[in-house]
Order: sequence, then C-alpha cells, then structure tokens
Amino acid sequence: MISGHAPLPSSYDYGEVARSVLIAVAASYVALDLAGRVTTAKGSVRPVWLGGGAFAMGVGIWAMHFKGMLAFHLPVPVKYHWPTVLASLVLSILASALALYIVSRHKMGWVEASIGGAIMSVAIAGMHYVGMAAMRLPATTQYSSLLVTLSILLAIAFSLLALLMAFDLREETRWTVPRRLGSAIVMGAAVSGMHYTGMAAASFWPGPPPDLSMALSVSAVGNNAIGIVALTLILAAMVTSSVDRRTNVEFGRINQELEQRVAERTRELAVSNESLRTEIAERGRAEEAVRRSQEYLRLVIDTLPAMVWRKLPDGSADFLNERFRQYTGLSLEQGLGWGWMINAFHPEDRAQEEWRKAFAAGRPFEREARIRGADGKYRWFLLRAEPLCNEPGRVVCWYGISTDIDDRKRAEEALLEAQDKLARTGRTQALAQLAATIAHEVNQPLTAIVTNANFSLRQLANPVPNHEELREALTEVAKDANRASAVISHIRGLLVKEPAPRREVDINDIVQQVVALLRNELTRNRVLVSPDLTPELLLVQADPIQLQQVLINLLMNAVEAMQENPEQRRKILIKTARHADGVWVQVQDSGPGIAPSTRARIFEPFFSTKSEGIGMGLSISHSIIESHGGQLQASMPERGGATFEFTLPTDGAGES
Amino acid sequence: MSVPDAAVYVIDDDPSVRGAIKRLIGSVGLHVEVFESAQEFLVDRLPNVPTCLVLDVRLPGISGLNFQRQLAKAKIQIPIVFITAHGDIPMTVRAMKAGAVEFLTKPFRDQDLLDAIHLALEKDRSRRQQEAELAVLFERYKSLSPREREVVAMVVSGKLNKQIAAQIGTAENTVKVHRSRAMEKMQAKSLADLVKMMERLQFSSSKCA
Repeated sequence: MISGHAPLPSSYDYGEVARSVLIAVAASYVALDLAGRVTTAKGSVRPVWLGGGAFAMGVGIWAMHFKGMLAFHLPVPVKYHWPTVLASLVLSILASALALYIVSRHKMGWVEASIGGAIMSVAIAGMHYVGMAAMRLPATTQYSSLLVTLSILLAIAFSLLALLMAFDLREETRWTVPRRLGSAIVMGAAVSGMHYTGMAAASFWPGPPPDLSMALSVSAVGNNAIGIVALTLILAAMVTSSVDRRTNVEFGRINQELEQRVAERTRELAVSNESLRTEIAERGRAEEAVRRSQEYLRLVIDTLPAMVWRKLPDGSADFLNERFRQYTGLSLEQGLGWGWMINAFHPEDRAQEEWRKAFAAGRPFEREARIRGADGKYRWFLLRAEPLCNEPGRVVCWYGISTDIDDRKRAEEALLEAQDKLARTGRTQALAQLAATIAHEVNQPLTAIVTNANFSLRQLANPVPNHEELREALTEVAKDANRASAVISHIRGLLVKEPAPRREVDINDIVQQVVALLRNELTRNRVLVSPDLTPELLLVQADPIQLQQVLINLLMNAVEAMQENPEQRRKILIKTARHADGVWVQVQDSGPGIAPSTRARIFEPFFSTKSEGIGMGLSISHSIIESHGGQLQASMPERGGATFEFTLPTDGAGES
Repeated sequence: MSVPDAAVYVIDDDPSVRGAIKRLIGSVGLHVEVFESAQEFLVDRLPNVPTCLVLDVRLPGISGLNFQRQLAKAKIQIPIVFITAHGDIPMTVRAMKAGAVEFLTKPFRDQDLLDAIHLALEKDRSRRQQEAELAVLFERYKSLSPREREVVAMVVSGKLNKQIAAQIGTAENTVKVHRSRAMEKMQAKSLADLVKMMERLQFSSSKCA
C-alpha cells in the first residue's frame, strides 16, 4: 500500500538490541547443549528433555524477538495483542521442539536436514511475523518484499546451519564447549540478523487507531522481566544440562572404565580360552596318536601268526595275545599265571619243574610242547623265550612266541617212519633174497636126492631091479647130500665172514662205537641207551668187527623187542665188568622178555620168533663168541626184558 | 632110434636134478631128453607125437617163465610142467594163467611129477587128435564146389530148401541135389552131423583168425 505520507520514523534502543542478541546467543548455546542431552537421554527421560529443552529454547528465541521488537521505537504508542504474542511464543517452542527432535536422531541425511530446516524456518519466520502482527499501533505496516524474502532465506539458512551444527556438536568431546560457544555466537548472530532484517522489511505508515481489545502495553519493568525470565529459563536449562552432562560423563567414564575392564578381562579370558582350546586340541591329537599307535601295535601283536606272550621272571604269564586265546579257546584269566601250561599243555609236556628251571636259568631257550587247541586236538608248538634283563643282569620279564610246528613235526615223523620202513623193507628184501638163495642152493641137491631115492625105490620094487642103475642113483644121492651140506656151510661162511686177525681191543671202546654207530636207529625208535661201563681197561684179543657185529645184533634185537612198548619205556642197559675169566658184557632191554619155551632154541640157526627174521643173528653171534673162546647166553632177569650176556677170556685163547 | 609114441623134454640147469629126473622118467618107459638151458632146446626137431616140457623156472639166460611166453608167441603148443626150487604164489599164478599144466616145488614127490607129465601128454595127444580131425574135415570142405558151400552155409543156418532156391534163384530140386552132394562129400550121416562139422570148422577158423 502506497501512501502519500512519509513512514513513521523509527529508532532502536541499542541497549535492548544488545540484550536481545545476548539472549539469542544464550538460547543458541542452550539449544546446542540440549541437542546433546536429548540425544544421550533414553526411555521416558527423553520426552522430558525434549519438552524442557524446547520450552527453554523456544522461550529464549521468542524473548530475543520480543526484546528486539521492544528495542524498536516508534513515535506512536505501541501496544501488543497478547493472544497473538502467545501464539508466536508457541510457534517458537514448536520450532525448537522440532529442531531438537531432528538433531537428536541417530542419523541425519540431507533429506531430513532439508525438511527439518524448511519447517523450522517457516516456524521461526512465522513466529517473527506473527509477533509483528501482534503490534497494535495507529499506523499501517508495509513490508518490503525484498527484505522479507531475505529474512526468510536467512531463517532457512539459520535453521539449516543450526541443525547441522547441533547434530555435529551433540557428541561430548573435549573441544565441545568452546566449539559450541563459537557455534552459539554464529547462530545467535544469524537469529538476530534474521530478526532485524525482518524488522527492517517493515515500514510503518500513520494510520487510524488500532483495535486495542486484548492489547497490552509493555512497560519497562515488563520488558526487563521478559529478559530476566528468559535468561533464567535458559540458565536453568543450561545448569540442568550441565549437571546432567557431568553425571552422564561420570557415568560414562565409570561405565567406560567398567566396560573397558570387562572388555580387557574378556579379551584376557578369550586369549586364555583360546590357548586352552589349543592345548586341549593338541592333547586330543596326541592322545589320538598314542591310541592309534597302541591300536596298531595291538593289531600287529594279535595278528602275528604265532602266540605272543610276556612272562614274569618265574615263568608265570602276564600277557597273552589274541592268538593264544583264539587257538586254545581259553579266556585270558585261564591262561595267565601258570594257566598257559596247566590248562593248555599236553600232560606229558607239563613237566613244570623243567620249565621252572629253564626260566630260572635266565638264558634264552627253546622248547617244544603239544598245546591243546579249542577243538581239543593237540598240536606241536615251538616255544622261544628271550629274557629282558636289567642292569645287574636280573631277569625283569620274558618275551616269547609259540609257533605252530605241527605240520613240520608230523612231516619229520613221517619221514623217519618212511626211512625206517625203507630200511626194514631193504632188510626184508635182503633176507628174502638170502632165503631164496639158500632155498635154491639147498633145494637143488635135495630134489636130486629125493628123485634119485624115489627112483631107487621104484627099481627095488621091480621084480628084477637094474643094479647098475641103482648103484648110479645111490651114488648120486650120496654126492648130492654132500653137496647140500657144502652149501649150508658155505652160506654160514658167507654170514660169519672170514675171521680177521685178532688184536688187542678194549671192550668199552667197542660198546661206545656200536652205540655211536646205531645212534640214528636208536633215536628213530625212541630208545634210550644207558651204558654202565666200568672205568677199568677191559682188554681182550679179538676181532673188533666181529665183536661189533655181536653187539649190533644184540642191540637191534632189543630195539625190535621194545617196539610195542610206550616210548618212555624203551630202555637198553649195557653193562661191562671184569670177570674171573676175563671180561663180562651184558645187554638188557625192557621188552617183553623171552618166553621160557623158546629160550632153549634161540641160538639154533634159522630159529626166529620174528615174522621177518631168518633166525641167523643169535646163531652167528653165538658162534662168534665161541670162536673167541667165550660164551654167549640168555639170562633170566628179575624184572622183565630180555638179557643177554657174554664173557670173553682176556688171553683170547679161542679157536682161531 | 625109432620114433617114440611120446616124448618128454626136461630143461634144468642143475646136472644132478637133470640126471635124476631123466632117470625117473625113463624108468616109466617114456622117451626123455634133457637140456641145460632154453637155448639148447631145439624146437624144430620136435617129433610129431604127443610131447611135454618139464621146465625149471630159474634158468641161466632166458628164465622158464619168459621161455613159456616165447613159445606161446611162436604158437608152439607144448604143455609145460614147471618145477622150481623157490616158488611163490604170484609166480605160480602167472605160469598157470599162461597155460602151464602143473607147477611143482622142488623137492617134489616122484609120483606128482609123473602124474603131471602124463596129464600133459594126454592133453597134447587130444589136442593133436582134434587138430587131425579138423584137418580131415577141412580137406573135405575144400572138396565142395562154391555153390555147394553156399547151399551148406544156408542149410546150416536153418533155411528150408524152398527159401534157399528163392534166394540163389534156382529150382528147389537143384538145391536138393547140391545138398545131398555136399552131405556125401562131407561124409555127414545126418543134418545134425553136418551142423556139428560146420561148427567145428567155423570155431577153429575163428580161433586161428
């Protein structure tokens, strides 16, 4: 509205202006301060802080405005319409609340800042122009649109600035207070600048008196009261905030300290936890490795194709592997101690004393024994024991294995048996051949004799016998009879052989030579020979080969006689001694002996009690001893077994 | 020396035994010849009279049992009486299986040997007689014409004259003529006689083949 009049001259009370700016700065500071408070406040305290802060701040800003307006002097009385003033106050508080709300959020992007700034600036601008609209004076108000726009732009700028600063400064740091102070001054200046720009936009032109209903004039006291109330409020807010902050800071510090300690402790715990875990894992791995190697060794020991055992120095077992249990079918308890022998060995192999001796000797040893399997059958095993000794050489324990040698053993026995059989067969064959020879050689002259004799009988039966033929036939008979006799003596000569030159021999030597010569035969037949020889020198004049022949014959007869005996009862006792006429030798077996009925005939040629015998052995032996001037005879021992003894004269006065 | 009515040959390496056996056999009136070994015994000179061989098992050179086998191989049929100083059962079985008449163990009873010899000679005599008869029959058979032989074969197999005529494509009367001529030539008194003769001929020829 353009009027022809000049606008009313206006002036400023600069003291008031300064106070209004001070209030603006104070309000700004409190606003920034409170922004931090509201942010840190939580739960139900937060709206209280928000409300209180918004109130203090809103009152402060509004007070700055109102003071600024009061600092403006016009030559006319100015009154204020109080509901409008109240509305402007409410707008100020709302703007403050909005600002605090926005900056106390966790995040503030450009969108929030822009929207918040726009609303805030509208509220502040609104507050300003609503406040100006409350003026009641006899004049009309004209606004310079340029300045109004500028003031609104300032309001926007101020709002944005305020929001950004407040958001930035809400965290409590060391430099917060000075920075906040600086920011408060800038903000205060901005608020003031906006206000006074807005004031400058208005010009007052004289006009009709205003409607003065509900209008009040503000006295100097009122004016001061507004300032004081506003500052008090701001101060109260600041103090409260400060106290709260200190408490908070203290809390925060304690909290932080506590948290730090907790964190440290947690870290420490975590570290020690971690090391414990590592240790546990390592130990687990080590245990697993030990377990595996144990399992592996156990597997090796249990699957070895032999019984593996450990025995105490005395020979009682304290470990037996799975094989032992599998083979014998015994439990571990049954095998431990001496159970391995008592419960599993063949009764004949259980000579516990011998075993104890072997263990007591403390040297590695081997023994064979029959061990009963779970199926009840015995198999031959070779037990090998090796002692583990300590420093002084005492046995700590025995380690050993028992290996199944049954197949080998049986093969050996079969081989021995086969050899035996072969030898026997060979002998039988030789005998058969000899017998055939004898039969043939003797039968030829006998046939001729019988035939010629029969012919002679036939001739004699003739009424006229042919004497010439009879004589011929009988001459033949006599000739053939002599021939037969010659054959017999020839064979005997073959068997007895040519007598060798006699020489001086020790009969004990002969006995030992023969025992050595027959060792294989004796072992094969499991015969034990115990020579009981006089230590004296028993010298005789004899053919050593023939004497050997006699002893071999006697020993082999003894061996054959005991074949039906159990193995432990196959014993031959050979005794030599000095005798009145010379030397005396006795061979005694543990066989069934000689039946009285046959004793008289045993030295007869071709007499034999053996199915395969030709009955020459004793006969020849008899003649050999006789040829040496001695005597061979069978004697009757007190207890079982056949006994032969012969004597030989020392001077060797036998037929040569 | 005139041809004897029977001959005994003895092979034994023992001169005493040889002499004694020769004396014994000679004393019963048999012609006897003795040899020391199988090689000495000359087979070619055997007279065509009943003969037998007294053979020792154990001989120098060829043994008695091997000689028996050689004779069999050469188809020389001479009954053998074995004598041995030392015989066993397997040896006996072998000899008997190979056709020995007797197996005697030395020293034997004189009567046993003589009995064995007589048995052997009797066997040889009957064999020789059968062979002679067969030879006669064969001679007669050879005198038959081919057609007569054909007809005889059919008659023997039981065919009727009519059937034979039909088979060989001639008249029944012609068959009757062939048949009666064949009977005459074979000197068969009846049909049964002819069948028997033909059987003997067939048997001996199959044995020889």
